[in-house]
Amino acid sequence: MKMPIATIGGATGLAVLTMGVAVGLPQARGGSPPPRAPAAAATAAYNGPRAPDHKPDLNGIWQIMGTAHWNLEAHSASEGVPAGLSVVEGGTIPYQPWALAKRNENFQNRLVADPLRKCYMPGVPRANYLPFPFEITQTPKDILMAYEFAHATRTVFLDGTPHLEDLDFWMGDARGKWDGDTLVVDTVSLGSETWFDAAGNFHSDALKVVERFTPVDAAHMNYEATIDDSKVFTRPWKLSLIIYRRLEKNLELLDYECAEHVYEKLFKGRGGR
Amino acid sequence: MAVVLSPGISGAQSPPAGRGAAPAPPANYPPYTRPVSSYVPSRTPDGQPDISGLYLAIPLPRGIETPLVPVANRPNRANSEFSYSINERPKLPEGAIARPLGVDPADGKIPLTPEALARRKDIIANQDKIEYLDGRVLCLAPGVPRTTIPAPVVGYQILQKPGYVVIFYEQNHIYRTIPLDGRPPLDPNIRKAMGVSRGRWEGNVLVVEVTNFTNNLDNNWVIGAISAAPGVPAESLTTGHGIPHSDLYRVTERYTPIDANTIHYEARIDDPKVFTQPWTIAYYAFARAPKDYVPVEYACFEGNAKNLLLMTNTDMSGIRINVP
Repeated sequence: MKMPIATIGGATGLAVLTMGVAVGLPQARGGSPPPRAPAAAATAAYNGPRAPDHKPDLNGIWQIMGTAHWNLEAHSASEGVPAGLSVVEGGTIPYQPWALAKRNENFQNRLVADPLRKCYMPGVPRANYLPFPFEITQTPKDILMAYEFAHATRTVFLDGTPHLEDLDFWMGDARGKWDGDTLVVDTVSLGSETWFDAAGNFHSDALKVVERFTPVDAAHMNYEATIDDSKVFTRPWKLSLIIYRRLEKNLELLDYECAEHVYEKLFKGRGGR
Repeated sequence: MAVVLSPGISGAQSPPAGRGAAPAPPANYPPYTRPVSSYVPSRTPDGQPDISGLYLAIPLPRGIETPLVPVANRPNRANSEFSYSINERPKLPEGAIARPLGVDPADGKIPLTPEALARRKDIIANQDKIEYLDGRVLCLAPGVPRTTIPAPVVGYQILQKPGYVVIFYEQNHIYRTIPLDGRPPLDPNIRKAMGVSRGRWEGNVLVVEVTNFTNNLDNNWVIGAISAAPGVPAESLTTGHGIPHSDLYRVTERYTPIDANTIHYEARIDDPKVFTQPWTIAYYAFARAPKDYVPVEYACFEGNAKNLLLMTNTDMSGIRINVP
């Protein structure tokens, strides 16, 4: 059986985005949640559910809305790509001159050079703002993130153990801690082969990412990623997004088994299915 | 060790009428009896028996099928496939019988239809062609029960959250989310490489029905493959290699905690287009990992193009996939 999703393309991407808007928007609560009189919180208090260890309960399926995956910076629409505002603090990524030239070259070659089109794991932070959902499983000792795209995964260890040394991982080596109601994840060892988006924004093996997942209520959390890579950028920079909880009843992650689609293309006309 | 032996898997596992007569048991292995344990796991905050934790695969003492010719005890060949320290390798629980995985039907054979057997031989005879190559070599998700059959990367993270059991497999960063709320399977038009899982607790035993498997490539082998023993031709059928499945393939898994460190695994496999009757594999599958074991990323597909070029002379470097 051929899976219809195998033919997915830019146009279908738009449909996925539109679906996300349609189901997501009514769930997002406008305005500030009522204050909850916490001792620790300096910002608006989190009023959503809590796990047995009293941390915010992030268990569930999440997804962003927007166009960060296509281009983190401000961009007009192009074929198959919706227009979008910049999610980068200050608007543009502070590249060193050589790196800006490299990014522009990447952009020109993006349909061939984007590692996602080779079905490689998306890396961090890109995995979090793909137009696919991801699922969080939370325990007091670790937080696991399962991504629908290419079944990429992360384990965020909360047990205070240090990063592994001398190894690179497509999804990095993630160690986390709770800062009040904010989950702070420190990821290193990401290698140099992933991109930040489909527009050629890139990094080196010196990349360090610090993510802050700050749940605001049961249905959404603020997401910040601080990008530090002194080989590529003139200074650390930050991107900010909102991640929405998918609230459809009985929702579950499905498959985008990217590698299968590689073989479907390869085998076409070669005898195998 | 809190294991007692019960009267086997009895009537529920008998072949239904019209799907083949029960074959005679082989001389060299006793009938399978499902382990029953007096061990009572503690409970999770939402009341599930708590089996969560990090586990390693227990090496298989034998292959999947009962060999045609009884084999003498020999060193556990599966050991050579393990990357973990030889001294830390999990052992079979005391008293466990070292036997092939196939426990029903009693002859230990996979009850392939003649058509499926011919298909299997065809797949095995064409292993130099990428279209028939083992899907695990292609880095496809290995399906069920195959992802529970020991492989070079053997860590399993079992997690439990309210209403769910979640399994992260170190091998090829596979995961499964198993809802426990009795929801129905998904529409048959939705297929997943690891199937769609629906679980329930029967006492302290986690029972999972798995359906909706992907069947889009010849390489999706959800059963097998143990490497064949040296000198044994692949078509001797001792390995589970190359067993096809259809859109009707389904598995019923049973995860039985034997003690605080050991989980026994049973999988009843049914596919009326491929097998003449349902059949069952059973073995001690999971041993709690040593405290210093760290699961790491197993990026399979990302580095595999060179392997496939060498093995099959297939150049995939120009293929690009549309992503949304």
